[in-house]
Amino acid sequence: MLLDINASVGHWPFQHYNYNTCLSLLDRMNKYGVDISVISNLNGVFYKNTQSANEELFSEISSDTRFKDRFIAFGIINPIYAGWRDDLSVCSSKFGFRGVRLYPLYHDYELIDPLCIELVRAARDAGMVVAFTLRIVDSRPRSWMDIQKEWALKDIIPIIRAVPDAKFMILNVANSTELTDDEAALIMNSDVLLDTSGRAISNLGELLKKFGNNKFAFGTHSPVLDYVSGRLRIESLRASEADEATRELIRSGNARRVLGI
Amino acid sequence: MNRRKFIAGTSLSTAGVILTNNLPGCSSVEQKGKVSYDIMKDVMKYRKIDAHCHPQDDLVKQLEIADRLGISKMQISNPVTNFSGTESEGPDQVRMHNDVVLNAMKKFPDRFIGFFTLNPNYRKESVEEINRCVDLGMAGYKGYTQVKVNDPLYYPIIEKLTDLKMLVFMHTFCQLGMAGYRMKYDIGRFPNTTLPEDMVEAARRYPEAMFHFAHIAGGGDWEYECKMLKECPNIYVDTGGSNNEENIIDFAIKHLGEDRIFFGTDDCYHHGVGKILASDATDAQKQKIFFDNYNNVLKKGGHNVA
Repeated sequence: MLLDINASVGHWPFQHYNYNTCLSLLDRMNKYGVDISVISNLNGVFYKNTQSANEELFSEISSDTRFKDRFIAFGIINPIYAGWRDDLSVCSSKFGFRGVRLYPLYHDYELIDPLCIELVRAARDAGMVVAFTLRIVDSRPRSWMDIQKEWALKDIIPIIRAVPDAKFMILNVANSTELTDDEAALIMNSDVLLDTSGRAISNLGELLKKFGNNKFAFGTHSPVLDYVSGRLRIESLRASEADEATRELIRSGNARRVLGI
Repeated sequence: MNRRKFIAGTSLSTAGVILTNNLPGCSSVEQKGKVSYDIMKDVMKYRKIDAHCHPQDDLVKQLEIADRLGISKMQISNPVTNFSGTESEGPDQVRMHNDVVLNAMKKFPDRFIGFFTLNPNYRKESVEEINRCVDLGMAGYKGYTQVKVNDPLYYPIIEKLTDLKMLVFMHTFCQLGMAGYRMKYDIGRFPNTTLPEDMVEAARRYPEAMFHFAHIAGGGDWEYECKMLKECPNIYVDTGGSNNEENIIDFAIKHLGEDRIFFGTDDCYHHGVGKILASDATDAQKQKIFFDNYNNVLKKGGHNVA
């Protein structure tokens, strides 16, 4: 089974993307053999009131019976905007969303802002996964209206340290994976998944040695990145780097564990 | 709502979802419409020449990664990058850099196609270095940021390379602060970096020459680059670089046509291959990009792969 933990629908305001609706993404999944995609709505990165984007996503997923078994929805929540607690509750209880994606760089708050920590704790208590994206797009060819800053893996550590018993997904690991021994131990002792879409995962064989078999999950970062590189990093591993059982963990097993499905 | 109520509410509701709905992925029925996709079979289906690589310290490891992805030949160059700003860029340094490529070619003659570099500020020495490198079997030229490709210092080099039917392959860039827009941004790039506009000017001056615009996925604005280069049929691009945005290849085909695009990685191997596989190009177009287009150009100088 292939379970993509890093896909989105919705618009990116600075560039045209194909395959950014549930229907077009489903076609993509069918063509490339992907069973399930975890999705959120990119519009929520830009709406001040992110709940509108979550409502759009719920409405789109509910619009076609084919979507029910193929998509797992995550909401986008901004903890410094009014009403986020209610929004989170609605995402979880009414919409059935299984996690949230947070965008502190775009929503302009610090990762360890007390409200962000409160949100991560609330998500944990609701059984929801919390996802952070190290970058949505490559900042080099960005629009002059886009943000410049990108994160490295190290930058996520403070929130994991603040709420170590939450479940985390770290998406599009495009930059350095260098960590101190303490930081690496924190990752290894927490319920953290890194998806395979980012360019820094190209040495997946080495990373498996460093972090273990249960820390990686297939991801595409669709529609922003090409649809197959995240999988190519898994399937091109040598048998000496990953046996079939390990590959299955990366293809879906680890994601299913964290998502509780 | 306090925390206890929130937790209780969401827990019950979540339980409700579990009781009343099938969880995604838990159905035993095969997903309707989904086909099996053997990605490694797809990877190995295409012959590949990587038109943009650099010799790594560990050549064996570099080739092992290439083997995984079915890359049989790699064009390598070793330009004087001077990232620190303190490195010598003189003829001795240029020769030393080219010798690294020559050594790699000697060790693995069936895998590496060597390109030499120059510093066009040194006219006489550049001509001598071209002759030395060509005599030793190198197949083309890779320029860096010492001089823009449309600078008159480049004219004799372009003319010589044209006589040899070799590519004028240039490191290039285009992003905020460079090229035709938003010049207020200072991103610290070398001022003599070749921009799309510079290559267009050179290509129009020398329509018989063959230009290679490096790595459209190397962090530059690839939409800008493709639109700028569109009207110059003697400019080719490679797909190398660490950016693998979904639409790069399809956009390049739309604007440049399927014959002016080379597969390149700039040592980003997995997503170098992945971005082409995932494109909407036909099998025939992918084969052109992965192999035929570059081989056809190498053939003009007698350096093609059999």
